[in-house]
Amino acid sequence: MDVLDKLKNDWNKNGDRYPKISENEIYAMLHKRSSSIVKWILLISIIEFAFFLTLTFMLNDTPSAKSMVEYIGTSLNTVFGSIDMGINLVFMYLFYVNYKKITNTDTVKNLMSNILKTRKIVSRYIFIKLAYTVVMSLVVLLILYYNDPEWLATFHDLEEHGKSVQATLLYFVGGIIGVSLIVTVLWLFYKLIYGLLLKRLNKNYQELKKIEI
Amino acid sequence: MGSDLERSFVEQLQENQNLIHKICRLYTDSEDAHKDLFQEITIQLWKAFPQFRGDSKFTTWAYRVGLNTAITLYRKKSKTINTIEFNSTIHKVNQEEYNYEEEEHIKLLYQAVHQLNDIEKALVFMYLEDKDYGEIAETLGISEVNARVKMNRIKGKLKKILNP
Repeated sequence: MDVLDKLKNDWNKNGDRYPKISENEIYAMLHKRSSSIVKWILLISIIEFAFFLTLTFMLNDTPSAKSMVEYIGTSLNTVFGSIDMGINLVFMYLFYVNYKKITNTDTVKNLMSNILKTRKIVSRYIFIKLAYTVVMSLVVLLILYYNDPEWLATFHDLEEHGKSVQATLLYFVGGIIGVSLIVTVLWLFYKLIYGLLLKRLNKNYQELKKIEI
Repeated sequence: MGSDLERSFVEQLQENQNLIHKICRLYTDSEDAHKDLFQEITIQLWKAFPQFRGDSKFTTWAYRVGLNTAITLYRKKSKTINTIEFNSTIHKVNQEEYNYEEEEHIKLLYQAVHQLNDIEKALVFMYLEDKDYGEIAETLGISEVNARVKMNRIKGKLKKILNP
């Protein structure tokens, strides 16, 4: 008799070893809060969407963004803004559709795969938003280099001292380091949350896939 | 107390609670964690209950939700995660906090099962519940052949754990 069959003998005969949970206790449990991973994923994803949406609106409100509109023109600015809003809406829609597919009566594999897919959408969203932020920042950096009166004044001062090359270098290197720093911090922060949340799920999903090889 | 739906759910769950206890017994290693998982499974079952048509047995319907909760949905309290991750096997065996009246050799069997991973425990659970390989495969979302192969490997692994 193998190990599991020994356990099976005990499995079915000892019905009353566990504490009997009363109906009242079950009623109470129904009103307790779930600590399910899906709830956490929903919560964190909403926070992430909200964060980038706020960032979009806040950036549009800054003085440099307003002066940017003067330089690039209202219509081009509207195009950039619409693309950005479009990205937000498309991803929120995709997230919602996939989130709805998560059901706890599905097969173990489908449930895991749907959760991971839903999370992957947020992951792509964040990646695209960060990439968009980088590109936009570089464009802004370039436009301000040619147009910003304050910078132009400083630049002319330095130019008179024969330091125009250094000034240009400093401007761009400083700008790029600044942007990369912000993006790296956001990315690491995101990876940390993602890793903490999905470590066990990912491990189990890999384990299940290994069976099929 | 509560709606008709709630009453019907609570009655059926109360009657069939052993099934949930059994899942908790395999997936947790203390009575506290057992209660916590029991509660989460109850919440998940309640969430899915409006879709339960009653054309299958309550237990047949419930065990899948229970396993999904234990493997995927349930987030262990961080304290539990730490103890599991940092304890060596021997340590964990010593720390076994279950005080149910079980014979010593049965306790050892459970301890061996606790060393399996979450997916392997699901296979063990369904095996103990006398599910056929078709159903085991369908529940996990793998093929029947692979379910069989995996089950044999698990038996071997358990033997090794018990007789190193």
